[in-house]
Amino acid sequence: MRTRHPFAKWLAILGALHAIVACAGFFAPYDPIEQHRKNPYLPPMPLHLMDAQGHLHLRPFAYALKLRDGTFDQYKQDTSQLVPMKFFKSGAGYRLLGFLPSRIHLFGSEDARICLLGTDAYGRDQFSRLLYGGQISLLAGLLGAACTLSIGLCVGAAAGYFGGWRDDALMRIAELFLALPWLYLLFALRAFLPLSVSPLKAFFLIVAVIGAVGWARPARLVRGVVLSAKERDFVRAARGFGATDSYLLRRHILPETSSVLLTQAAILIPQYVLAEMTLSFLGLGVPEPAPSWGNLLSNLQQYSVLVSYWWMYLPALAMVPFFLGYLGLASSLQERLEPYKIERRSPGSLA
Amino acid sequence: MRFFLQRLRHACFLLFGVSILAFLFTTLAPGNYFDEMRLNPQIAPETVAALRAQYQLDRPLPVRYASWMNSVVHGQMGFSFAYNSPVAPLLFVRARNTLLLTITATLIAWGIALPLGVWSAERFGRLPDRLLSWATAALLVIPDLALALGLLVLTVRTGWFPTGGMTSLDFESLPLSGKLRDLALHMTLPVAALVLSALPLLIRHVRASVAEVLDAPFILAARGHGIPRRTLLYRYALRAAANPLISLFGFSIGALLSGSLLVEVVMSWPGLGPLLLESILSRDLYVVIDGVLLSTIFLVSGNFIADILLYWADPRIRTEGGTR
Amino acid sequence: MEVETSPSGQNMQPFLRVEKLVKCYERQNVFGSRDRLLALDGVSFAVARETTLAVVGESGSGKSTLGFCISCLEIPTSGSIWFEGRDIAVLTESERRKVRAQIQLIFQDPSNSLNPRWSVEDILLEPLNLEGKLKREETKQRAAALMTQVGLSSDMFQRSPAQLSGGQRQRLAIARALALEPKLLILDEALSALDCSVQAQIANLLIELQRTLGMTYLFITHDLAMAAHLADEIAVMNRGRVVEQGPAEKVLRHPKEEITRHLLAAMPSLDNAERPPLES
Repeated sequence: MRTRHPFAKWLAILGALHAIVACAGFFAPYDPIEQHRKNPYLPPMPLHLMDAQGHLHLRPFAYALKLRDGTFDQYKQDTSQLVPMKFFKSGAGYRLLGFLPSRIHLFGSEDARICLLGTDAYGRDQFSRLLYGGQISLLAGLLGAACTLSIGLCVGAAAGYFGGWRDDALMRIAELFLALPWLYLLFALRAFLPLSVSPLKAFFLIVAVIGAVGWARPARLVRGVVLSAKERDFVRAARGFGATDSYLLRRHILPETSSVLLTQAAILIPQYVLAEMTLSFLGLGVPEPAPSWGNLLSNLQQYSVLVSYWWMYLPALAMVPFFLGYLGLASSLQERLEPYKIERRSPGSLA
Repeated sequence: MRFFLQRLRHACFLLFGVSILAFLFTTLAPGNYFDEMRLNPQIAPETVAALRAQYQLDRPLPVRYASWMNSVVHGQMGFSFAYNSPVAPLLFVRARNTLLLTITATLIAWGIALPLGVWSAERFGRLPDRLLSWATAALLVIPDLALALGLLVLTVRTGWFPTGGMTSLDFESLPLSGKLRDLALHMTLPVAALVLSALPLLIRHVRASVAEVLDAPFILAARGHGIPRRTLLYRYALRAAANPLISLFGFSIGALLSGSLLVEVVMSWPGLGPLLLESILSRDLYVVIDGVLLSTIFLVSGNFIADILLYWADPRIRTEGGTR
Repeated sequence: MEVETSPSGQNMQPFLRVEKLVKCYERQNVFGSRDRLLALDGVSFAVARETTLAVVGESGSGKSTLGFCISCLEIPTSGSIWFEGRDIAVLTESERRKVRAQIQLIFQDPSNSLNPRWSVEDILLEPLNLEGKLKREETKQRAAALMTQVGLSSDMFQRSPAQLSGGQRQRLAIARALALEPKLLILDEALSALDCSVQAQIANLLIELQRTLGMTYLFITHDLAMAAHLADEIAVMNRGRVVEQGPAEKVLRHPKEEITRHLLAAMPSLDNAERPPLES
């Protein structure tokens, strides 16, 4: 299926998804760290338009949950208690995009909470945590990719442009990094940094670690582009007009790397978000109480949770639309920027 | 022959470099195994200091590296604080389990990807191919973590497969066939997770490479000679497409190794993964270094095998003298 | 190598004189071995002021390297290049930068020598901006003047090179080379990538420019027919050396060397009788 501007379509989809996560405060009905210890592990509350008596309501609603008789953690819907959904409701305070204070949420409710994805062990609304957690995971991925690409650009450009022993040395180091299975390297790196730090510090630590692990492949690609750009006649001509090295790099050679960098970004960002999720899942990433897609899943390591509380798995699928968007973006970028590549008819590779 | 020696020498340099890199990281480590002990007011600081000296944690880096190298040569590979034993025996049991998982997953994944990819390339652009593309894309966008966890959740609710570990409690008392069956049952889930996460990429690449080769004039000529379809696909097209696929093989080993770390932890498979995680959390220095090194050895070996396969498959490399 | 007199018969100090130029490319491999490529093996020739010397040879004879060395883009391994009384082969980097403005190189493929992401205006102004002497208004005026000189119009300024034809691109490359008012223009296969009819147009443009601007040309080519059309003198190169040099007529009609005869025999011609026979 070939639309005229597939690239723009994917960019729009991704932009919308990211915007929703960025404005998590607005889209999330409740505060992510607010605990309701009396209601741990509530199951997801489905929305209805028609009630048990067959009346159609204009406003979607959920049924309040009450404990099943004889159990202490099994809930069922109480069809006598309707909790209507209120839109643009005032609720917990937050800062939109980090600086605009506001209290308005897209939806909310009076009395009982509407927990679309259920709650966790401390009664925190999973839906809100999912949105806020996305901020951290996505940001980690984006910053990590920016980090890696910066390092890769510098190293690749230096190796390709200056050549000689610098090139050899840098490429040998790159080979070392490529020889390590990257998840092992990630873990080892993370290991040798302080384990229990504040969430903010942990966040930057993970970004630095993730960014430092994967620079080798982009560096190689950039080096290739720089090597061939260096030999182009317009670079020679510019040198003939008296251009310095920095001028040549800045105005002629580095612009050639933009397509490689963009495609690598589209490939790396989802990988890095997944890396953050993995680290946090195993307790090496962002610690409680800050939510991240990874640590939302970490209690799945307990057998009891696996058996009884299946909805705790749902955050794992949060990543799927983003992955899809980035996959589409990477494919369309490759088609657009490198249409002459050998795999001209393939849907695009993520290697 | 020179080719092999060159690649071997290259691999040794690589491993040497990696070991130095791993050791370098330890100097950045702001904590060590005995920090917990030090915080404990009941243990005298002198005891902690004595233990540290015993394990050589206060000696300078080159000395530590030298003694670790020495220990490697003697087959011990350093010392684990947590397990209170040389690292080597610990590692090898776990490594065997990881290899079992990874090799099985590699064989199965390629065993599925090659025929599927070739079949798909043959029908390039038509409906069956497009359906497969959609299916692989759908699989590709599910993150590995979600796949592994998802399989686990499914299993727990259906009870079809054991939910963790490598063997059942009564393993020792089973007859050989029973043991094999038990092992296979326990392996199913982790192998499935690994295979499912690797499959989409492999199928895509096989399909792309073979499709490109099928375009080539020599295939058309072979068809004109009346060569049967199956021979054509496998003996002619696949061999021509072997080059990028063998490189992909080397890459897939690395990806599967990384993936196995996560799968092992999630599914409680007693491999290198959980060991590494545990020793990271408890700062068991030498286990971490050796674990990383061992996984690198596997990766490098995998690439070495890939290089040998490439050498065997592509006559051009043999004649050109085979420098990378 | 003796100094030839110019076609007009005057005895003059040669404008450009190359003596025993050697250029050897070396690459040090990590494991100790070295790759050596001897591109120029003692090249010597001279060019008289306001004339055209064609350097002819097959691919791999070192012609392009010669162009790079003379235009100060490469540093020769040994030998000298006498230009305006100085040996430019042994200059420091800053001195070389000043000399480069006076010797300009026109490359073979204009789609490679013009940055496809830049506009025509940017490409043209690049040398002037790098030199930095003129103010913005003045550079625009100069750019317009240069375009007229090569037969292009100023309303092409905002286009990209991809939107120009091959001939227009090469004209742009020439205009750009003329921006710094060079005295010596090296044409490295500058006509080889063009269609036949366009070749003739550009060749005539070059002749015209030589007349009006008083330029000296070093025309590097493998095409002896083109050399015959443009050159006053011809030097034949083989394997990094000049093996024969002399006035164009003389070299074409009475070639001394084997390689020259080969090149002549390869020239397409309607009348076979004109060419001297090949030694077998």
